[in-house]
Amino acid sequence: MSSTFSILGVAESGIGVYKTWLNAVADNVANIDNVTSTDQPAFQERFVAVQEVPGGEYGEGAGAMVSGVQFGDPNGRVTYEPNHPLADANGMVRRPDVDLSDQMVFMQLAQRGYQANVNTFERAKEAYETLLGIGK
Amino acid sequence: MALSIPAIGAARAMAPTARIATTTAPTAAGSSSGSGVIGQFGSMLDQLAASQNKADALAVKAASGDLSSIQALTMASTEAQLMTQLTVTIRNKALDAFRDIMGMQV
Repeated sequence: MSSTFSILGVAESGIGVYKTWLNAVADNVANIDNVTSTDQPAFQERFVAVQEVPGGEYGEGAGAMVSGVQFGDPNGRVTYEPNHPLADANGMVRRPDVDLSDQMVFMQLAQRGYQANVNTFERAKEAYETLLGIGK
Repeated sequence: MALSIPAIGAARAMAPTARIATTTAPTAAGSSSGSGVIGQFGSMLDQLAASQNKADALAVKAASGDLSSIQALTMASTEAQLMTQLTVTIRNKALDAFRDIMGMQV
């Protein structure tokens, strides 16, 4: 990462983090109606773990990075659906423990975060260009 | 998208000795006269070429469908653009200073 235009790198790392979060939310929503039999684990909700990147000229930090993915409860929600082909002897099936309204809120947050980082990027570019304009 | 400028490599070759002078004695670069500025400019051209190569590599990846993070390409091409502007600005200023000195009445 270049230190000459370091803000660009910081903003880019933020964009990457929010992109990953959006990916995770999209995956959660895509799998929200997965049904499994009770002897199988349910789809586990994806949580993106993020941590700061130490660095910067004065230790002010050099952005954010995805440190890993955490998974939700594999037990999911056991629901009574006796007509379902995957239902067990008691008529129970397993559904993922993912809440759609939660995912919608996360999606909004991730989108806003993404936009904020894109804004940081654009402002930094403008600032650098203004600075270079002084020499003309 | 960053433009590939082969002339940068050629221009870079004009100040090889000056660059060695700066890398061996970087503290002297500020105080010494002509070679310091040219040496700094030489390493700056290195940086410019590196950032443009990076942007080019990512642009090729984008064209061939191998790019996983779009933001990396955006950053690399922006950085290459800014680096080019910075280098050209410094080059113009250095040339202005040279012309001023050469035009001095003795």
